[in-house]
Amino acid sequence: MASGNVSTVYISVIDDVVAKVREDFITYGVGDAVLNELQALWEMKMLHCGAISGNIDRNRAPPASAGGAPGAGATPPVHDLNVPYEATSEEYATPTADMLFPPTPLQTPIQTPLPGIDTGMYNIPTGPSDYAPSPISDMRNGMGMNGSDPKTGRPSPYMQPPSPWMNQRPLGVDVNVAYEESREDPDRLMQPQPLTKDFLMMSSGKRKRDEYPGQLPSGSFVPQQDGCADQVAEFVGSKDNAQQVWNSILNKQESVTKTLSIKESTIPPVLPQRDGIQDDYNDQFFFPGVPTEDYNTPGESSEYRTPTPAIATPKPRNDMAGGDDDDDDDDEPPLNEDDDDDDEIDDLQDGDEEPNTQHLVLAQFDKVTRTKNRWKCTLKDGIMHLNGRDVLFNKASGEFDF
Amino acid sequence: MATFELYRRSTIGMCLTETLDEMVSSGTLSPELAIQVLVQFDKSMTEALENQVKSKVTVKGHLHTYRFCDNVWTFILTDAQFKNEEITEQVSKVKIVACDSKLLSQ
Repeated sequence: MASGNVSTVYISVIDDVVAKVREDFITYGVGDAVLNELQALWEMKMLHCGAISGNIDRNRAPPASAGGAPGAGATPPVHDLNVPYEATSEEYATPTADMLFPPTPLQTPIQTPLPGIDTGMYNIPTGPSDYAPSPISDMRNGMGMNGSDPKTGRPSPYMQPPSPWMNQRPLGVDVNVAYEESREDPDRLMQPQPLTKDFLMMSSGKRKRDEYPGQLPSGSFVPQQDGCADQVAEFVGSKDNAQQVWNSILNKQESVTKTLSIKESTIPPVLPQRDGIQDDYNDQFFFPGVPTEDYNTPGESSEYRTPTPAIATPKPRNDMAGGDDDDDDDDEPPLNEDDDDDDEIDDLQDGDEEPNTQHLVLAQFDKVTRTKNRWKCTLKDGIMHLNGRDVLFNKASGEFDF
Repeated sequence: MATFELYRRSTIGMCLTETLDEMVSSGTLSPELAIQVLVQFDKSMTEALENQVKSKVTVKGHLHTYRFCDNVWTFILTDAQFKNEEITEQVSKVKIVACDSKLLSQ
């Protein structure tokens, strides 16, 4: 599909979503006005991003009515769309939010991660819980995070200005939660109930015996399920829960962005002290004997100077990369902690490198195979964000050398 | 039908999340509803990609990192080239995140 059609597809998605949530809005007693506002805001942001063009909006009206049928959403005037869109992408390397939302005064740079998150997070996108294939478990994870993790107490979960979001795009895998579609489900509201059940089930799943007793007392927020209190819990819970879940959704997106910085900020505490009682010692004289994963990299000297003991997790990976003698190691910030230094050298955005990577492909894979160092994969239904423009594909085949 | 949250990280998904976020924080929208909208987006986006998009892309590049966890493949390519019928994009570094398509058919 032509890149210009991306706009068309996006518009139809917007229409489809709006059309299909309308009944939910009604169910919730929220007026059409709100829905319209939602749509307007959404489209406006898309315009700002250059992801859709203004013209298409005008022509979008018909598909809106046919919202039920996804195919119907496609609009004819592809030509118009192309013009503004391509211009943008060609002129500017990356017409992303950074550029397009500059007026937003709120621009908060990536927030400093709170230490609490790191436990599950520093593994970056691989937090197992994040991929849970059911919505419930996803929710549950979210809840778990919220409930047990103080980190969630970030100041204003809702006040995220636009730009930070956009920066996060490149991130983390934990986007990949598969969702059990339950929209038709009249009671998404009821989540608290399933939620808690799931909790219990989960705990009983693996080590039934020991976990059960332990779990219950500790999980103080587990609502009572065996008496008349149920109803209340469910009721009260639903509001809070949605809030929590929503928070966690936002947090999740954010936290991934922060993984890198999190890594740095949180790892130090984890570092085992190996040289005695004097804690400062490590900081002041970074002891080369301590296993810094950086020994492969040329820039050792600077590394020792680094005040932050950037270490720990990625060690094995670094080894791997180093073993290959890849010069790419230097270009690849996300994997190497010590890359704070490299950041400045890197022409890539400074700050958090992986999150700021401008190029991202989100897709589904059909098959991934490897023969020696030759990888082949077939992907489908992907959204690519390359050089500041979005490209969609139905199928993709990749051949990579490792 | 199952869907992936995967696409929420796309431009369109980000814009939506952002919008919802603003509306929730301003009190215009309840979080419950916001979640529903996101879920609907997951679904609509997936459908749109399946039904409306026909292009094929080939990707070549140096695989810097690969990772497979919880049915999600993550590749980081360097010096990658993306080609479809119309365009060729060359990027120095790109991240590919891919969920197992089989999960959707379940």
